[in-house]
Amino acid sequence: MNVFVPEEMDGLWDILAKEPDAALYAGGTDLLVRLRTGIPSPSALVCLERIAGLRGIRDEGDRVFIGACTTHTELLESGLVGDALPILQKAARLLGSPPIRNMGTIGGNICTASPAGDTLPPLYLADGEVEIESRAGARRVGIDRFIIGPGLTALGKGEVVSGIRVKKGMEYNVHHFEKVGQRKASAISIASLAALVKTDASGAIVKVRLAWGSVGPLVVTMPEVEKALAGRPLTVETLRSVHHMVERGVSPISDIRAGEEYRRRVAANILLRLATYGPAI
Amino acid sequence: MKISFTLNGRATVVDADQDRRVVDLLREDLGLTGTKESCGTGECGACTILVDGESRLSCLMLASQLEGRAITTIEGIAPEGKAAGDVQEAFVAHGAVQCGFCTPGMILAVHDLLRRDRAPDRARIREAISGNLCRCTGYQKIVDAVCAVVSGRNGAAGGTRGGR
Amino acid sequence: MKIGESVPRHDGSSKATGRERYAADYYGSDFLWAGVKRAGIPHGRLLRIDAEDARRLPGVVSVLTHADVPGPNRQGIIRQDQPVLADGKIRQCGDAVALVLARDRQTLKKAVDSIRVRAEPVQGVFDMEAALAPGAPLVHEDWPSGNLLRHVAVTKGKGGSGLDLCDAVVEFSFETPRQEHAFLETQAGWAFSDEAGKIVIIASTQTPFRDRLEVARALGLDPDRLRVVAPYLGGAFGGKDGLTVQALLALAVLKSEGRPVKMWWDREESFLAGVKRLPARMYYRLGARSDGAMTALACRLYFDAGPYAGLAGEIMTMAVEHAGGPYRIPHVQADGFCVYTNNPASGPFRGFGVPQAASAMEQAVDLLAEKLRMDPVELRMRNLLAPGDRNSIGVAMVHSTFAEECLSTLAGHPLWKDREAWKRSAGRFKRRGVGIACLSHAMGYPKDVPDRAGAKIELTTDGTIRVYAGVSDMGQGNAATYLQIAGHVLDQDADQLELVLPDTERTLPCGSASASRCTYVYGNALIEAAATLRSRVLEAASRLFPCAAGELALVPGGVLRRTTAETLPLSRVSAALSGERSVECFYQAPVAEEDSGVIYLGPHAIFSYGAHLVRVEVDELTGAVEVKDYLAVTDAGRVINPVLFEGQIEGAIAQGLGYGLTEQFSMEEGAIRSTSLATYTVPTALDVPDVTSLSVGRAEETGPFGMKGAGEIAVSGPFPAVANAVAQALGVRVKAGPLTAERLLLAQLDGPGGPQGDAP
Repeated sequence: MNVFVPEEMDGLWDILAKEPDAALYAGGTDLLVRLRTGIPSPSALVCLERIAGLRGIRDEGDRVFIGACTTHTELLESGLVGDALPILQKAARLLGSPPIRNMGTIGGNICTASPAGDTLPPLYLADGEVEIESRAGARRVGIDRFIIGPGLTALGKGEVVSGIRVKKGMEYNVHHFEKVGQRKASAISIASLAALVKTDASGAIVKVRLAWGSVGPLVVTMPEVEKALAGRPLTVETLRSVHHMVERGVSPISDIRAGEEYRRRVAANILLRLATYGPAI
Repeated sequence: MKISFTLNGRATVVDADQDRRVVDLLREDLGLTGTKESCGTGECGACTILVDGESRLSCLMLASQLEGRAITTIEGIAPEGKAAGDVQEAFVAHGAVQCGFCTPGMILAVHDLLRRDRAPDRARIREAISGNLCRCTGYQKIVDAVCAVVSGRNGAAGGTRGGR
Repeated sequence: MKIGESVPRHDGSSKATGRERYAADYYGSDFLWAGVKRAGIPHGRLLRIDAEDARRLPGVVSVLTHADVPGPNRQGIIRQDQPVLADGKIRQCGDAVALVLARDRQTLKKAVDSIRVRAEPVQGVFDMEAALAPGAPLVHEDWPSGNLLRHVAVTKGKGGSGLDLCDAVVEFSFETPRQEHAFLETQAGWAFSDEAGKIVIIASTQTPFRDRLEVARALGLDPDRLRVVAPYLGGAFGGKDGLTVQALLALAVLKSEGRPVKMWWDREESFLAGVKRLPARMYYRLGARSDGAMTALACRLYFDAGPYAGLAGEIMTMAVEHAGGPYRIPHVQADGFCVYTNNPASGPFRGFGVPQAASAMEQAVDLLAEKLRMDPVELRMRNLLAPGDRNSIGVAMVHSTFAEECLSTLAGHPLWKDREAWKRSAGRFKRRGVGIACLSHAMGYPKDVPDRAGAKIELTTDGTIRVYAGVSDMGQGNAATYLQIAGHVLDQDADQLELVLPDTERTLPCGSASASRCTYVYGNALIEAAATLRSRVLEAASRLFPCAAGELALVPGGVLRRTTAETLPLSRVSAALSGERSVECFYQAPVAEEDSGVIYLGPHAIFSYGAHLVRVEVDELTGAVEVKDYLAVTDAGRVINPVLFEGQIEGAIAQGLGYGLTEQFSMEEGAIRSTSLATYTVPTALDVPDVTSLSVGRAEETGPFGMKGAGEIAVSGPFPAVANAVAQALGVRVKAGPLTAERLLLAQLDGPGGPQGDAP
């Protein structure tokens, strides 16, 4: 099987035109593992890791543009991401393991579209906008409309995700990410919670954004819960009051890693962890 | 396909299928069996190599990706003219090697760490090797060995065991 | 190079530079690759093997089935009940049905995938108690006791009726899981036929000598036609104690038209076909008088062998022998049942039945302490075996017994003493617990199995000391220890010492690399052989100088005449010794005085002991357990090499923590669903803490330089110590392991008496 490693976007379009059924990858940490099982069996492979146009992190004022082939290690080492969206670094830090982070990319995490993708909840909270390029031009799709199901995206033939544009989160003083896994590294998430909270001087919640991973076919957000929390003190009592709403709002499955009942309970439980950012008891 | 790259400091050309896994190319085609395979799915780290100085898993890398890169395997990690580098020596001195099958990958992961962080503490060291499974040592003496290397490189008199 | 020093292991450099070659590391342009098509169903009648597509693939040399297997086609150590290639019946998903020989790995994979195994499924048995019920489907129709492979019963004193003498009795049942060895080097080997027609097998194996006999018997070959060589193993832990690739390779070589054949199981196949630790279900009743004197134990232990006998009955027996732990209990009734099922085959794993028993007994002891309102250390201390006491099968501890010293060291340690303050300072959403466990582990083989090793040591013509060691080194460092012993006895350094690894043609039979015997038995043989060589060398040197023997000293590389400071190189002495350059010595370990009838295969005589402490933090929100601190105190005699010793303790504890906390198989009717290291999660460096390892360090008089077995003792501690700590932290005790976050969170929610949990 041919493995193309283009260095320019123009070269990429030529290849995709000749090999429309080629599978694309950057780090290969998802695709090359899946190929081992024989499913899928593409006609060719295209490795995107050398295309300069797909790398780089750009400051765009109130937003940050992250090239699709930015590795998780590069995300972790970026001062810009550290200032603008630390929640994304917290998630990247818990993803896989060091060599996986050196190889895996944010574009790969998005396009693999696993319900357990660690960077996804933060990207949803940052109102991530996926930039898609083809020979014909570019288009943008919100990440919540780009990922349409487990392993399914709105990417068409001849298209490539070139990056994601995220809103800076500086207005929030709490950037929280928790991942529940079978062990502390190299673990696929069983449940995760990304939270952005803005509190006032008294420790009350002014605004909160929440996104759960691995507890539904897609990242789960709950605007009703966010509304119910707004204006209230950031305490265990407040967070416990929405516990049942969270349990009802997730739709987890039972799989080889955990059962549905555990996922449901733990998704609601880990919301309570936000109390650690509130007033000390 | 002919692929040109630098391997352990030497210009190398191989003729290989584009989709040949780098771990197979190294072990079978080039006879460099120091790089091990233990899972083939990126979970264990035994196949770790350095690509342009950065640790990567050779079981998840294909031959075409080698073009123009500088690859370092365990066979090439020792400094010029020496049988072993300080990380290798520390592993041996501190009991960090038992069966040894994880050892090459582990040593390369440590090299990646020390390139990024000159004075990692025990927790940081554990995080850096969290992608390299070891079933024999329980990791403790590996961490001890890395602490000794850090002490040695940062000028402390005689690397001590631990730093606890 | 002296005993007691942390001499760096001599194989460390070659491993750290990638030069050391494991069985998996041999390649050749003329090599064929061999691979197995496995059954894929847990129980069935084999009808047909459709391999025509495979045979026709270019690059496929042959596809072999049972029809191609010479001899009885049955392997097994105690009972030969396992086909090399399935014939007639399929008894587990991993049964080998066809063996493919191909020119390269890609062709091999295509060929294996194209083979269709046609079988008529038969109802299987997957639960032990169901397997023992009347009318259960039989795994082996020809086994006289149905699915009961073996039953072992031990009665001491009044047996179960001793419970009537107790003021307090606790009942506890616990289930331990299957565990995967997950060694980094999966099962591997290669084989060829030499000029003399001998089949040479180079394999990652703990048992080269026994393999030769087992393969010969299975294939109807003369054992003299086989030679087995064991390079350093990339881990084994019991999973390579017996046949993995060896019989298949020998069969392949018979049909390979003179070409060498290699077989290397990928990780998925290792999960599917490699043996696993026996799962167990244990029912305990333990009683004491109100003053804390343990008085009676009645227990039933059920062990799941899977479909083949292997060493399963022997593992269950070891559990029965250890069912009462390191305690003095006058009345004991212990019954062990080893059961055939259609689950994946079980086999040896470090601990050999003791981890299972300890996980139940040590929790029962804590429950008893609670019932008696006694401190858990105090209750144990009151009952630990002291020298001369009889253990729970009635055998007197006449060898070194420092169990009390282990526990008193633990009790004096700050990790124990400041436990209350530590527990009280748990952070938000965290609950802390401190748990302990006391352990014993028998060394070596049981009385009826001669525990023997032959050591050979040679002064080569170059003047080096060559040690021929037939005990496989799977990472534990026994090979390095042998050189350290030789170096100590002969006053030589690493540069003068070399080792020949196990080779049935060059090294003497030594028994298996297992049972914590690797250093004790071979070491004793080696000490005697080295001492004999030393005398010969000094005597020859005194003749060569000439001078009085009293003037001479052995120094690295030579013999020094102290009075004149002349040194005679060892190469000259070697020439003088000529035919006397080599010494062979056999050693057989002492056995217990008690009658073999006490227990199947007879009792053990020498035990190592341990006391473990763990401090854990359980997260109330997720149920996850974090192990914060771990202390292990061990009685394994005097320590020959502290770093190697600590390495064994630390490594065993990491495996025990995985067993107790994170390693879980997903199974469905005899089929393993977790077939990768992504879903079967062994501890990473972030999952285990630093361990404080202390050694009592008092001599076992019969041991080489006072040591006794240290390889397994620590693996049994983590599971019960953690379970005790978690029960303390949560107020709830679960009925089965591993103690995953899911299990613990649901148990907390269910509370005492719920489906997941029991009152603590």
